Amino acid sequence: MNQESAASLEITSMGVDNRKLGVWIWLGSEAVFFSALIIVYIVMRNNSVNGPFPREALNVSLTAANTFILICSSLTMVTALSAIQSGSQRGLWRWLVGTMALGLAFLTGQAIEFTSLAHQGLSLSSNLFGGTFFTLTGFHGAHVLIGVIWIGFVVARTLRGGYTQSNHLMVELAGLYWHFVDLVWIIIFTIVYLI
Amino acid sequence: MSDDTKIETKKSSRRTYLVVFCALALLTALEVTVTHLPIPRLPVLIPLALIKASLVALFYMHLRFDRKVFTVVFVMGLLMGVGLILSLIALFTPSLLDIR
Repeated sequence: MNQESAASLEITSMGVDNRKLGVWIWLGSEAVFFSALIIVYIVMRNNSVNGPFPREALNVSLTAANTFILICSSLTMVTALSAIQSGSQRGLWRWLVGTMALGLAFLTGQAIEFTSLAHQGLSLSSNLFGGTFFTLTGFHGAHVLIGVIWIGFVVARTLRGGYTQSNHLMVELAGLYWHFVDLVWIIIFTIVYLI
Repeated sequence: MSDDTKIETKKSSRRTYLVVFCALALLTALEVTVTHLPIPRLPVLIPLALIKASLVALFYMHLRFDRKVFTVVFVMGLLMGVGLILSLIALFTPSLLDIR
């Protein structure tokens, strides 16, 4: 094994790549972070003195469509990884661009919803529901935006031929983050919009 | 592994991803439908959400096929999060702690 490939492996004493292990540990910490935001929302949302209140304010149909968009983006992301695992750089960047497009579509849907809620008088400081709702969904939206930017960097590197069938860990790591963001939204959608 | 076997493995992987996607879409539609029915939402929607989240974690994040150490570290974070949620629910719901 030459020096370059040995350095690129970065195997830990457990026999796994330390970058991948680090990302999984970080995602575990993100799970705690979002759990804290979710529980604060659960406890506080029905304690508002003044409206707007959740049942009258939230648009379930729009958000259900947004949820479907994010689920589609998880499919395109995992298909992108599958493409480079098969050695297809073209397939990789095409599916990654599709993932970015769907991510931006989700953010657009969020922006439309936030604007609609603002017109109803809901804001971070309007009441407890507004404060906890915008904090939770705002942080999630920020995570989606970071994911879109991250995938953009991956696309840029792909176009320079940076990933191959045997060297594409960074694509997998970006995928892990993206799927986690989708996973969190699945929980948020249920708790915030449906229950 | 022969080339044909690799191609079949890739096809079955992509088929699996598509099946999972269809399951996620259907479960989402089911969740929205449940909100229009005169039934308790919590005991139906929470398990459905957990099933969807599990499908994403197991198949899209490859936890099912990857080294168990990744499952362990991720589940540790999830358990801490769930513990946080349960403890705060207990803290803010006095009836749960009503000891006579």
